[in-house]
Amino acid sequence: MQHNGHLGPCIFSAKDVEIQFNLRGKTLTAVRKASLDLYQGETMAIVGESGSGKSVFTKSFIGMLDKNGAVTGGQLLYRGQDLTQFKTEKEWLAVRGKKIAMVFQDPMTSLNPVRTIGEQITEVITWHFGTPHAQARQEAIEILKKVGISDAETRYKQYPHEFSGGMRQRVVIATAIACRPEILICDEPTTALDVTVQAQILNLIRELQRELKMTVVYITHDLGVVANVADWVSVMYAGQIVETGTAEEIFSSAVHPYTKALLRSMPQLGVKGHDLYSIQGTPPNLFKEIKGDAFAPRNPDAMEIDFEEEPPLFQVSDTHFAKTWLMHPYAAEHRDALALQDAKEKEKQKPAAPFDYQNAEKLLQVQDLTVKFKLGSREFKAVNNVSFDIYKGETLSLVGESGSGKTTIGRAIMRIYNKVDGSIIFGGEKINGKIDKKKAKELHMQMQMIFQDPMASLNERAKVDYIISEGLYNYHLFDNKEDRLKKVENIMAEVGLSSDFSSRFPHEFSGGQRQRIGIARSLVMNPDFVVADEPISALDVSIRAQVINLLNKMKRERSLTYLFIAHDLSVVRFISDRIAVIHKGRIVELAECEELFRHPLHPYTKALLSAVPYPDPKVERNKTLISYDPSVHQYDAFPPNWTEITPGHFILANEEELEGYRKEL
Amino acid sequence: MENEKKMPQLNPLKFRAKVFDQMLSEDTGYSNYSYWRSTFRTFFKSKAVVVLVVLICAIILMSFIYPLVSDVDPNKVALKRKMWNNRPSWEHLFGTDGLGRDIWTRAWYGVRNSFLLAFCIALSDVGIGMIVGAIWGYNKKLDPIMIEIYNIITNIPSTVYLVLLAYIMNTSYLTLFISMASRGWIVEARFFRNRILSIRDSEYNLASRCLGTPMRRIATKNIIPHIISLIIMEAALCIPYSIGSEVFLGFVGIGLPVDAITLGNIVNQGRASFTLHPYQMLLPTIILCIITVAFYVIGNKFADASDPRNHV
Amino acid sequence: MGKYILKRTLNSILTVMIVFVAVFMLLRLMPLSGYFPPEMIKETDEATRMSYLRNQGLLDHPLVQLGRFIGQLFQGNLGRSLTVYPKVPIATLLAEKIPVTAAFGFASMIIGIVLGLSLGMLMVRFKDRWGDHLGTGYILMVRAIPSLIYLFFIQVWVSLWLNLDMVFYDDKPTSWILPVICLSLGSIAWYALWLRRFMVDEENKDYVKFALVKGLSKKQVWREHIFKNAIIPLVIYLPSDLLFIISGSLVIETLYVIPGTGGLLTTAIEKQDNNLVQVIVLMYAVLSVLGVFLGDLLIAAVDPRITLTEDK
Repeated sequence: MQHNGHLGPCIFSAKDVEIQFNLRGKTLTAVRKASLDLYQGETMAIVGESGSGKSVFTKSFIGMLDKNGAVTGGQLLYRGQDLTQFKTEKEWLAVRGKKIAMVFQDPMTSLNPVRTIGEQITEVITWHFGTPHAQARQEAIEILKKVGISDAETRYKQYPHEFSGGMRQRVVIATAIACRPEILICDEPTTALDVTVQAQILNLIRELQRELKMTVVYITHDLGVVANVADWVSVMYAGQIVETGTAEEIFSSAVHPYTKALLRSMPQLGVKGHDLYSIQGTPPNLFKEIKGDAFAPRNPDAMEIDFEEEPPLFQVSDTHFAKTWLMHPYAAEHRDALALQDAKEKEKQKPAAPFDYQNAEKLLQVQDLTVKFKLGSREFKAVNNVSFDIYKGETLSLVGESGSGKTTIGRAIMRIYNKVDGSIIFGGEKINGKIDKKKAKELHMQMQMIFQDPMASLNERAKVDYIISEGLYNYHLFDNKEDRLKKVENIMAEVGLSSDFSSRFPHEFSGGQRQRIGIARSLVMNPDFVVADEPISALDVSIRAQVINLLNKMKRERSLTYLFIAHDLSVVRFISDRIAVIHKGRIVELAECEELFRHPLHPYTKALLSAVPYPDPKVERNKTLISYDPSVHQYDAFPPNWTEITPGHFILANEEELEGYRKEL
Repeated sequence: MENEKKMPQLNPLKFRAKVFDQMLSEDTGYSNYSYWRSTFRTFFKSKAVVVLVVLICAIILMSFIYPLVSDVDPNKVALKRKMWNNRPSWEHLFGTDGLGRDIWTRAWYGVRNSFLLAFCIALSDVGIGMIVGAIWGYNKKLDPIMIEIYNIITNIPSTVYLVLLAYIMNTSYLTLFISMASRGWIVEARFFRNRILSIRDSEYNLASRCLGTPMRRIATKNIIPHIISLIIMEAALCIPYSIGSEVFLGFVGIGLPVDAITLGNIVNQGRASFTLHPYQMLLPTIILCIITVAFYVIGNKFADASDPRNHV
Repeated sequence: MGKYILKRTLNSILTVMIVFVAVFMLLRLMPLSGYFPPEMIKETDEATRMSYLRNQGLLDHPLVQLGRFIGQLFQGNLGRSLTVYPKVPIATLLAEKIPVTAAFGFASMIIGIVLGLSLGMLMVRFKDRWGDHLGTGYILMVRAIPSLIYLFFIQVWVSLWLNLDMVFYDDKPTSWILPVICLSLGSIAWYALWLRRFMVDEENKDYVKFALVKGLSKKQVWREHIFKNAIIPLVIYLPSDLLFIISGSLVIETLYVIPGTGGLLTTAIEKQDNNLVQVIVLMYAVLSVLGVFLGDLLIAAVDPRITLTEDK
């Protein structure tokens, strides 16, 4: 291939790589003839959902496949050397970590918990270069400074648990770049981090890349991150690279149906009150032989040929390639029809009218809620003096970072944590503390919860039938067995699951299907109010839109009220009527959705909004990050109050700050 | 593009829209997996396990059938000297002991009695342990008290109970049972407490609580199915331990009275005359070792097999 | 830190007290006739015996006896043995026996750690291959077969085979070899079993994968990361092991006729030597509580994640 628009020479080239795993006696083809070129100093993002083979593919670059996996075809050329020919560990050690380094997703588990972070960096320098310890130590401190760790000499001697998640990821990055590698592979480096920290880490990697002239490979499912960092994007589906091109090309003129669908299903692009574009179904099973285009069964606009022949890689522009039959001259007619259809759809969508708060009645009131937890002999407030109301029929979102107390509020409302201060009033009655059995029973039927992790929230040893009927059994809400089965069947149909599935066990389902089972379980008793605790954050991108649409559909059809707990502002903006921003156990700002995005007042809200990734490279590259420093408040001297600054817009501030905010408005 | 060169002849009519099939898109590859079936398949995959399971079943079955069909009295003392200390023969498969008793017969009675005793101890240890462990796991407030009880009970030598009980009620199977079961339960309780603690806070259990599922159904549907394999494993591992303790107590001389026919007593009696008549100890010992080893292996292999990560 | 230690110390004292008082009271439940050997009962009359008991203070109310014992304890007086070694001061008795047992215990502990850890590493190094099978087989034998049985056969056969002594001679070092080896068999299995398990656990953690991705060799990662981390949870048991070297093994000391502490407790309980039982139980309870306490301190010292200011 020519050097079209590339900054430097091609230093790494994967050609028709095939990787197979042996699992339970069956062969799984995780990567099916994927090719990729990496050029010096550039950033390549590989996008795909879990199971697409993106992680496995890049792991093969450094010979780190699990024991039961192997590269069974193709070549991995690094500076002329074919890495697939490596036989001994020694050959790999000259490349792995030294020339090609890797950063993992979870910084909390990537570092050895019982050794100082300094030792862990020094170790890799002395290992690869034989540098004397004292000198390596000096280098390690320099690198720590470089990744933005202040007071590096002291922190050198500290252990991983003394660092926050973001700081740990900096240390992990420092370890990875300690040998000045040519290629840095980042496997979902920010997925486990909070949004504000994510933006900082991405900036850090970008700066380091420029300084060290590294090639960076990002593996991610988050198109917002891609837009932020990538020069080049490769989209992976079912073990193949289906489309590759510059970031601009992929975001503005994608041609593969999967890429297009992925981009269209981003909640940022959704129109409120309408269904989000969603990809149907679930990713394919790689144990089976895949015929034709792997995405065809999930593509409503697929052509007959997609089911029969595997498409070749078509060239769209000098830099843009796509593996889809749509690019074939014969498909011109179909392509035109699709374009017309798209244009029509875009036209008719107008945002729904905002929720009418004038005539709304209060369903749930939370007043001065405080939840304390004991940590050893110390006590800390997970939720600190929080007050808000939820109106009948609205969706209120609670947005905050991990550990902010948002889940605790949800669980306090659900009475999972019952020892709380303050009061929670539902339908005019206090429901926290001791209540009588009859009332508790009523509440169980009126309030339900949807959980975050579809893998953990279903009982593995029970059949779907039992899981969904659990609530019906508890209150005997059926006349006889047929009636119960009919109820189960109805709700399964509503969440889009075939009733044949009812005799299966949960592990036979994909994440999205499991989450739909969880939703069915919560809604089978016809509750009025649902606490949805991060219901989509554990799901794959292609599945999220499905579940968001399902939640919205259920809300419309059953006139539900949601408390939606999330950390992802883009989803929240699409789904909610009002948003409450929570930080360290306190709600700092609460307003109607558009009002909050238009006039954020609290500095934390501003920081949060500035960090949200947006799936458009033009927007992402020109954004400025606002960082939040809690020490700007002088709350010791002048404690803040929860104040309604304009009708419906609440903020946590003291008098002096309120003055400032009023001026801003 | 080189790709286009080798493209096969294509039919233009194939480039038409196809009707979307919802079911096809939901295909995740139904695996027909069942937890218990996989557990047993993994368990029986090892040849050694199959052999041991068959062997142990045969031995236990034999030990229950033999006393019913045989008319040889295991305690029948031979008065004639030439009947004493006979080497194994067709008439006495395992020979006779110093009093002319048939060791073959005694061995089967011994297997039956020892196994029953060990089985009861396993049942009580695991049964009580599981119930106490569940209560302990569900009540954080009990933690300090239960840990204190654990420390105290594990610190009092079980020989103290045994001797004490023996004074009160004479040595019998019951005293042996009580003294051995008196500390096993708390050890099991602690084990189950840790397991139940992790189930208690899992999301699916919280979901059941949100649905208002009564405690009884949470126990039968959410907890027991997840720990049943642990119960089986712990019970299986309890048996070799109990048999070992019985042998030990017999050795110390505070076990069962000498006329009780148990493996412990037979082995200890055989040991006394080992230098002159080694067969008196060797043959029952082999049976005893088969039993303890089999249960130990079965317990451990079952634990491995019940872990979904090991399922094949 | 200081507060934590104080709290733990008070808590430990409480545990020891409860254990001790419970055993003390249980002992007083025993019948009075137990204080006399059968021949003495034949020879003496009721009145002499009662006056003997009165003189010994054994007829006083148990609480009075308890108070007296504790009073003496603070004066450094452990009392005298009643029946096992009549009238010998218990302090003298222990001073004589403990060094013998401790010497054996210490030697076997060192062997246990060295060989046990080596075996554990061998098992992980050759996981699912010969090393693992070898280790698993060994652990199976030691843990599943009642110790009495294999210890007995070692004494009888191995001594013959290697031409070593079957009993212990104070002045003959070669006669110490077998008992030390026998004593260490169990702890070798224990260390191997747990080291293997912890190393396999560590092996699958992310930080190990990251260390490999850094380009370190497998050997380096094994040595510097997996082994060092896997050993930490074992450290917690070291103080207990070290303290309990003085407790000795009843079976081994009986088989090899070693004048140690191994059988002391059982004999004392059996012969109802209350004074001796009390002291030994008290001693063991203190050691066990102290062992746990020191274990916690030690692990806090080696594991940076654990600090002593918070419970758990």
